[in-house]
Amino acid sequence: MSQLLPYFGVGFLLLAALILWARQSLTTRKGSVELFMPRERPSGVGSATSRRNLGERIFDLQDWDFVRHETSSEIQRMFQRERAVLAISWLRRTRRQITLLIRTHAAEVRRSKNLQPAMELKLLLSYLSLVMLCDILIGLIWLRGPVGARKVVRRTFDWTARLHAAFEQLIAIVDPANHKGLETGFNQGKM
Amino acid sequence: MFEQILWWVGNAAEAFLLLRSFKEKLYEKYPAFYFYVAIVLLLQLFRFSVFVLYPLAFPAFYWYTQFLPATVGYAVIIEIFKQGLKSSPGAARMARVVLWGVLGTVILKVVVDALSSPTWSMATSFTGLERNLRTVQALLISVITIVLTLYKVPNSRNLKGIMFGYGLYICASVMSLAFGSLPGNATRPGWRHVQPITYLAALCIWTYTLWSRYPDPESEEDSKIERDYRLIAEQTSRALSKIRSYFKMGGEL
Repeated sequence: MSQLLPYFGVGFLLLAALILWARQSLTTRKGSVELFMPRERPSGVGSATSRRNLGERIFDLQDWDFVRHETSSEIQRMFQRERAVLAISWLRRTRRQITLLIRTHAAEVRRSKNLQPAMELKLLLSYLSLVMLCDILIGLIWLRGPVGARKVVRRTFDWTARLHAAFEQLIAIVDPANHKGLETGFNQGKM
Repeated sequence: MFEQILWWVGNAAEAFLLLRSFKEKLYEKYPAFYFYVAIVLLLQLFRFSVFVLYPLAFPAFYWYTQFLPATVGYAVIIEIFKQGLKSSPGAARMARVVLWGVLGTVILKVVVDALSSPTWSMATSFTGLERNLRTVQALLISVITIVLTLYKVPNSRNLKGIMFGYGLYICASVMSLAFGSLPGNATRPGWRHVQPITYLAALCIWTYTLWSRYPDPESEEDSKIERDYRLIAEQTSRALSKIRSYFKMGGEL
């Protein structure tokens, strides 16, 4: 029976791909091509820096230290519950942003004759690792709360960072020209 | 009785599909697909005549001609690739690279199997060979479908129908042939019905979606679309890096 697994695997892969494609065809408006353009936003509320700060504030230990030392256990539980809701909401919003970004990219480059598959693969893996990171964090926070999940969260960050670095090295060997270009882009993007 | 009903209904649907294609001139746009349908129909009728006139020769004739539709099916996949991605050269390039990768892996596996097994033959059974042909087709269609989904490539209703119907049939064929190639399962009637039933479902999908000729989705202006790929890719990677930096505080936990 084990020799059937590859064939069933291929069959289910095709079925899943067809279902996703059919779903997308049905939900996209007839005859329209969805093209999300990134919008310029003022550098005040909702900017990248403030969103990052929001994330830092949500996961910051200072508030928790204060609540733990100064309040009763009931308040501590309430704090953890509310912080978990905030953290999950922030992660979901970040996940949506990532998906929107990659959709915009795909719509922009699908007609480009100069498309470089290695670069596309790298972006796709980068996107998938971020989405996976968000999902893992949402699951962890939902299960253990933002404070209780800290150690596992740190390990998850370390693991994704190592995965990302390994893939960077692989691309550098396989396609040095593309890697140089992307490396410049990543460096510019670092905050 | 059930098999006979399936057989006659299938033949009638194929003939009807071919007639509609002549009326709507769809065969001009999708020649490989209609050639496939015509081959299947002619083969069924030819087999029927052999079964009536030379019943002893029928089993051998059946198995030797079983590969013909599976082989012509590759032409349908090439047509789906060409028609589906003709308006998106970038997505087509990506698909081409992955498709060559998949084909290369399959060829490598066949060569490794041939070298490692001294008793290797082309296939242990006819069912096994057809199963392998269909499995490669399933992989190729999966790649094309994933690229179409990722890049949101718009396509006409006609092509969507061809692809969905054929994909569904290939999916069911791979699974039922794999199950049927197991020792002792070849004589069980259950799995043998899966393929004809799915093929009939595919014929229904094709009849519905290929009833009339639908135009291809309007193409956008080239000047607006042909932007510097490298610039877009760098912008995307920079944005992903920025989002990644939101999580930077994870290291400080």
